[in-house]
Amino acid sequence: MKNSKLHGAGAVFRYSMQQHYKTTSIRIFLLVLFVLAVASFPLLSLTRGGEREVETTAITKIYIRDELGAFPLEDADIHADARFANAVIVRTGMDDKTLAETLSKEPTSAAAVIGVDQKLTGSFIIRGLYGEKGSVGSADLHTLNNVLEEALNKARMRTLNVDPASAEMLGKRAVTRVQTVKDYTEGSGQFDTGAHMIVNLFYSYFVLILAMLSMSYIFQLCMEEKVSKLVESLMVSVSPTALLVGKVLAVTCFIFIGLGIVAGGLVISYFIARQMGDVSFIREGFIKTFEFDPTALHLHLGSVLLIVVCVLTAYLICAAYSAIVGSCCSKSEDTQHASLAVVLLVLTGYMVTTFVPLMESDAATVFISLFPFTGLFAALPNYISGAITLPVLIASLVIQLITAYLLARLAGTVYRMMLLYRGGVPKPKQLVKMLREHRAAEKAAAGKEANHGNEA
Amino acid sequence: MGFSVRELYKKYGEKVVVDHLSFQMDGPGVYALLGTNGAGKTTSIRMILNMLVKDGGTVEWNGGPLTLQTCNVGYLPEERGLYPKNTLMDQLLYFASLRGVPRAEAKKRIAYWGERLEATEYLFPPAERGRAAKPKKADQLSKGNQQKIQLLLSLISDPELLILDEPLSGLDPVNSDIFKSVIHEEISKGKYLIMSSHQMATIEEFCTDLTIMNRSKTVLQGNLAEIKKSYGRINLFVKAEQDIRAEIEAAGVTILSDVGFSYQCRVTGEAQANGLLKTLVEKGVTLIAFELREPSLHEIFVEKVGDAHEEQ
Repeated sequence: MKNSKLHGAGAVFRYSMQQHYKTTSIRIFLLVLFVLAVASFPLLSLTRGGEREVETTAITKIYIRDELGAFPLEDADIHADARFANAVIVRTGMDDKTLAETLSKEPTSAAAVIGVDQKLTGSFIIRGLYGEKGSVGSADLHTLNNVLEEALNKARMRTLNVDPASAEMLGKRAVTRVQTVKDYTEGSGQFDTGAHMIVNLFYSYFVLILAMLSMSYIFQLCMEEKVSKLVESLMVSVSPTALLVGKVLAVTCFIFIGLGIVAGGLVISYFIARQMGDVSFIREGFIKTFEFDPTALHLHLGSVLLIVVCVLTAYLICAAYSAIVGSCCSKSEDTQHASLAVVLLVLTGYMVTTFVPLMESDAATVFISLFPFTGLFAALPNYISGAITLPVLIASLVIQLITAYLLARLAGTVYRMMLLYRGGVPKPKQLVKMLREHRAAEKAAAGKEANHGNEA
Repeated sequence: MGFSVRELYKKYGEKVVVDHLSFQMDGPGVYALLGTNGAGKTTSIRMILNMLVKDGGTVEWNGGPLTLQTCNVGYLPEERGLYPKNTLMDQLLYFASLRGVPRAEAKKRIAYWGERLEATEYLFPPAERGRAAKPKKADQLSKGNQQKIQLLLSLISDPELLILDEPLSGLDPVNSDIFKSVIHEEISKGKYLIMSSHQMATIEEFCTDLTIMNRSKTVLQGNLAEIKKSYGRINLFVKAEQDIRAEIEAAGVTILSDVGFSYQCRVTGEAQANGLLKTLVEKGVTLIAFELREPSLHEIFVEKVGDAHEEQ
């Protein structure tokens, strides 16, 4: 290690970590992040408020005003639910005013008005009503509404002479799959465009955030010594390569510890929400909102490892590219201009990845999976949603790792070359020229040292 | 043991910034690297320390190439700073860890140099009103005190070779004396020192050998005492109680400046000076001072750099 260019990287890493977590604002930020993550599911559960079902209800009497009349509800369907087994059911034709007066006088009564929602799609609607001063709450009414919805569905089926088995069949959603005959006969390679879009959108958004985070941290750390004028003192103690490696490792830890804190907070949050009641609404709400079938995804135990590898590779590419651009900055003002170079590249990759699935072209999907700057966003979601095969994903990962390695080496050279540079951010053409000159001088110096060694 | 620089060369594009600089130190001592602004001193130091890629030349320490691994170097750069928001102690311990100094030893050295540099109150701030002391950060210190910490950073590894680029610039006389005493201490420990400065009096106080650079080229090099000797005693200072301008000019001596009845003169040699003294005594002039001396480093520097300017 002593003779290695990486000698001192560990000390740089430890110091960067120590200073980062010594900062009060960082500690407060992480604490707030953790608290928000922990609070998320319970808050979601609580803000659903009345939508939660109650285990026992205060409702003892139910007034039903059926404006449809076409699908007569049966009391037995309502009494079948244990919570309303003893509730008195009254069919009524009371107008709104009388209904309101009745409910205000009867604290344990509720009413349901069944009609057609003319404003929306003309679908059936059940409006649950309760008195403001009674002991019946919104959660009771949501429970009642769910029971009445079930009863109304049964009534509709009965009226249409549909038996329960057929009714269940009707309730199932039709989904589409595109796959090759081979995949079809082997029972693999299922593909759902909706699932593909959603997975793509979420994963690429996650990578985009990761890229932006790494950019801001790495820019700051690349310039730190230049701004504080410590660079020359440091360069007699540690090689620029070790300095950069130590710093990038520290940034990696900041980011992944932050993500870990959020992930840990969400897991705790989920368990807390489960203790508070039913949490199936989260998954169901997600599926309902984005209308996709999670069973179409290629998710298995190995997927966790794949996700980790893909996220780390994507991070490495973004970090190395940010290090190249960040090394060209000498002062804070430079970052505004330089960050555009990173943002443009990352956003282009993100946009392409997000929109290409709409083309539904296999060739485009494979191309964006293999091209490193789009592959970091697209390869994993494409594989998970069945748009590409495992060999294509592996090929993409290999290309990305090679790209990350080459970028990291280039970042090391640019960082070494630019540490003592004090001008404005060089244009790409200038940078290439400077790199050529630097490399030529390095080679010449290496040749001379080798000769010196031989002479000695 | 020894340190040598051979044929150091650097150019940016077509512009040569260091043109075949060579010098060596056979033993411990102080070597001065002097020059006008932009002469190539800092670039040379950066190449010596491998911060810049050399376009030519070699730098050797004890017969082998000088690297971070082969030589324990301490460097106080001209452009120096500290992490403004980090505590002083953290920064010093960080530098110590980078140089492989164990933490306990580093703390001892910090305490020692802190006391020598009169910076203990910043490094180990005393408790206030029964509360634990809050560690000082770099941006809480004045420029002079920051410079003390920067010098401490360069000394933390107990370097064999210490390179000081403009060590006294921006310091008040009190702090200058503190710095000088530290430099004297390092010299007495048998260290190799390379100093670069515009303050000729400071260089003259410490250095034994020197190189004067002008516009990338070496214009003068060698042992300071020998260089001075080679110039001979040609500087004459005369102070009298009356106007003696006519007598001086009659003796063929060049007057460089005169204030009141004090004259800075240039003589061709001791004989001419003695002739003038004899004339003045014979004429009964009351002399307050008559001093014949070697040229100062400042004068040599101005002459050499001025000559080079004229040649160009």
